[in-house]
Amino acid sequence: MKYCTNCLMPETRPRISFDDRGWCNACQWSEKKRTSLDWGARWTLLQELCNQYRTKSEFDCIVPVSGGKDSSYVAYMMKHKMKMHPLCITIRPGLALEIGEQNVINFIHAGYDHIHLTPDPNILKAIDKIGLVEAGRPLLGWQTAVQTAIFRFAVQIKIPLVMFGEDGETEYGGTKKLNNQHFYDAQDSVQIYLEGHDPSRYRELFTDQELYWFTFPNAAEITAAGLCIAHWSYFENWDSYEHYLVAKEKCGLREQEERASGTYNNFAQTDTALYNLHAYLMYLKFGFGRCSQDVGIDIRRGAMSRKQGLSLVRKFDREDPESFIPLYLDYFGMTRELFDAAIAEHVNKKLFRLESGKWEPIFEIQ
Amino acid sequence: MISIIDYGMGNLRSIQNALTFIGASHSLTRDPDELLRAAKLILPGVGSFRKAMENLVGLGIAESIVAAAKLGTPILGICLGMQLLADEGEEGGACNGLGLIGGKVTQLETGSIDQRVPHMGFNEVRFARPLPIFTGIADASHFYFAHSYHLVGNRDDIAGTTTHGMPFTSIVARKNIVGTQFHPEKSQSHGLRLLRNFCYGPIC
Amino acid sequence: MLSRNFTLQAAGDLDWIMEHYEFDSIAFSIDELVVLNVDRDISDMEQFCGNLAKISAHCFMPIAAGGRIRRVEDAENLLKSGADKVVVNSTIFLDHGLIRALVACFGSQSVIASIDYKRVQGNEEGQVYIENGTRPVGMTLPEAVAHAVELGAGELYLTSITKDGTGQGLDIEYISRIGDRVSVPVIISGGAGNFRHLSDAIKLKSVSAVSTANLFNFMSDNLTEAREEIIASGTPLATWEKTARNANR
Repeated sequence: MKYCTNCLMPETRPRISFDDRGWCNACQWSEKKRTSLDWGARWTLLQELCNQYRTKSEFDCIVPVSGGKDSSYVAYMMKHKMKMHPLCITIRPGLALEIGEQNVINFIHAGYDHIHLTPDPNILKAIDKIGLVEAGRPLLGWQTAVQTAIFRFAVQIKIPLVMFGEDGETEYGGTKKLNNQHFYDAQDSVQIYLEGHDPSRYRELFTDQELYWFTFPNAAEITAAGLCIAHWSYFENWDSYEHYLVAKEKCGLREQEERASGTYNNFAQTDTALYNLHAYLMYLKFGFGRCSQDVGIDIRRGAMSRKQGLSLVRKFDREDPESFIPLYLDYFGMTRELFDAAIAEHVNKKLFRLESGKWEPIFEIQ
Repeated sequence: MISIIDYGMGNLRSIQNALTFIGASHSLTRDPDELLRAAKLILPGVGSFRKAMENLVGLGIAESIVAAAKLGTPILGICLGMQLLADEGEEGGACNGLGLIGGKVTQLETGSIDQRVPHMGFNEVRFARPLPIFTGIADASHFYFAHSYHLVGNRDDIAGTTTHGMPFTSIVARKNIVGTQFHPEKSQSHGLRLLRNFCYGPIC
Repeated sequence: MLSRNFTLQAAGDLDWIMEHYEFDSIAFSIDELVVLNVDRDISDMEQFCGNLAKISAHCFMPIAAGGRIRRVEDAENLLKSGADKVVVNSTIFLDHGLIRALVACFGSQSVIASIDYKRVQGNEEGQVYIENGTRPVGMTLPEAVAHAVELGAGELYLTSITKDGTGQGLDIEYISRIGDRVSVPVIISGGAGNFRHLSDAIKLKSVSAVSTANLFNFMSDNLTEAREEIIASGTPLATWEKTARNANR
């Protein structure tokens, strides 16, 4: 298996590409951000955008937040730096972790207007399960709602400017479509963020009403509302460690005491227990896990060398969320056998072999 | 059997750990008779010269150590234990030592950043002459130091020197008595080798 | 324990450290080990001492232990359990008598004063904090350093709260500025991520040693390699051989 020569992303990562040094697109982008992007111009654009939407005494933007470091940072900046009036919104995931919920509360108490939106958990769960079984994506319901419900909400409440955090494709390696574009539309959303899982297909299983939060408003509604869905990462050099520090100081963010499953840190992705499963499935599908992702971030920000990262990835990528399994079985209403079978369906058999009930890697990380 | 002298001062556990590691059987003792019967003795020490001598004399061990030395028992003094071999020490007020290796224990001179006191950390030891206790250890190897005082004695007794701003005596040796200012039990592989040489080899 | 921006994260218990961190095989790459009891609640000294004894059985380099030392007896227990020196922190500011007693009992070389400071930017002096960086003591770092030295501490362990856990490098510019005036050895801590950070810090004349609590960044043989690289880059450090159990028989 071929790996990025700078970080530890393998060629199996969807939409990855390498330059002639062997650097992956995330590393190339990280370099470009440091050396040749005109941040001044981008910041000016942000200021213009905010000037355009800012109101005197009403909510003029929506900031989707999870209680986590990145979204808290964005909310903080929009409110205190850009002097906007954000209405923050959290889409509740399934299997929410206590620390995640507490972080949302801490965030709110740092002084933000906030709406907690909970799509019918049974519909959410059903789509999560479809995601697990069909694509090895156990968070599909929530990942969908984070897009669709926000679009819906923005249209309904007539607040057209929405500021998400980072465009993951640009920052972590993927399609370059949004590298130089600060906004995106529903079509982009389906293609890029939902990887083609168009939620309108769920109409076969649920009523329109049940799917309200899981489907996009129609094109006419979006146009009429003048939606501008943007990413903060377009306007400022995205540095999630810096966000962690700010979120801790300004928004009451707290970390877990224990190391997170599958990696070495304790302050990222602490909102749902399903994330551990999502990350583990990513490992089984592509051969890189949560640790590889975190190591990539740390290498790119200069906190770690590739060799140091290698030791970590070898140790932690393969860590399975065994202690969470009973929770997952209960959530999805599956027996262990069915659950294991669902996972087995998506394991890349060229990379893993089943040995005594565990999926063992047959590749070497280099 | 190596007897480690327990007089209430000194890092006994570390020495015991090291001896266990190298497979040397050992015991702690503060009994004067046992001391005299020991095959080899280790005199550890951390703290003040005066307090140490008070303890040794109070326990009736000081005499036994001197007697054992006369019998030819190999004795290894470590850190303060090396300093106690001197005639006299300053720390805590002028006080007599065991007088097994002459000289006086005085404060290290302070100076620039390179000469901060206490002298803490790994530093090179240059051997003045070959001794069995140095077998298998390269000259200028690093050993661990943690002290504010040093022994100034007879030139003939100097077996190793170290530089901390200025040179000082880091090893003394006279027949069956050896003293190291550094802690061999804290000096990684070189220290373990030295201890092994002491436990299994001849003293001179 | 891994420290991330001055908030601690549990890495695992002692067995985990010995097994997964391969502590046995890297112990010979470090000059000193610092073990701190950071229990936020009532700490179980006995258990800590038990763990310390287990760790120290494998270590033939100096060990400093501390955290929650409130009486001379606490320090004595640590020294009996395998520590060579004790580390004191808030006591430096809250109980001078205890520090003097520790120095009198065990000697300056056995007492390390650990001081944590915050220094946000520019030319300002570091402000000293205790209690996990939450309580300011109202002293600048130079003032606190002078105070600790006056009490008799034999070494200083200075941690930048701002840099700690960031992996972005230690506070070398500031420490090199104030370190020149300090008369006892200085250990600098907080911010080590890659090898270069350690190397840059240890090159400073006023710094005697550099410390990291960033366990994860230095797993496997990375500490050993870091040491080799520092030596290769021109900073002479002590070298030893790996000691295999019973290899000396």
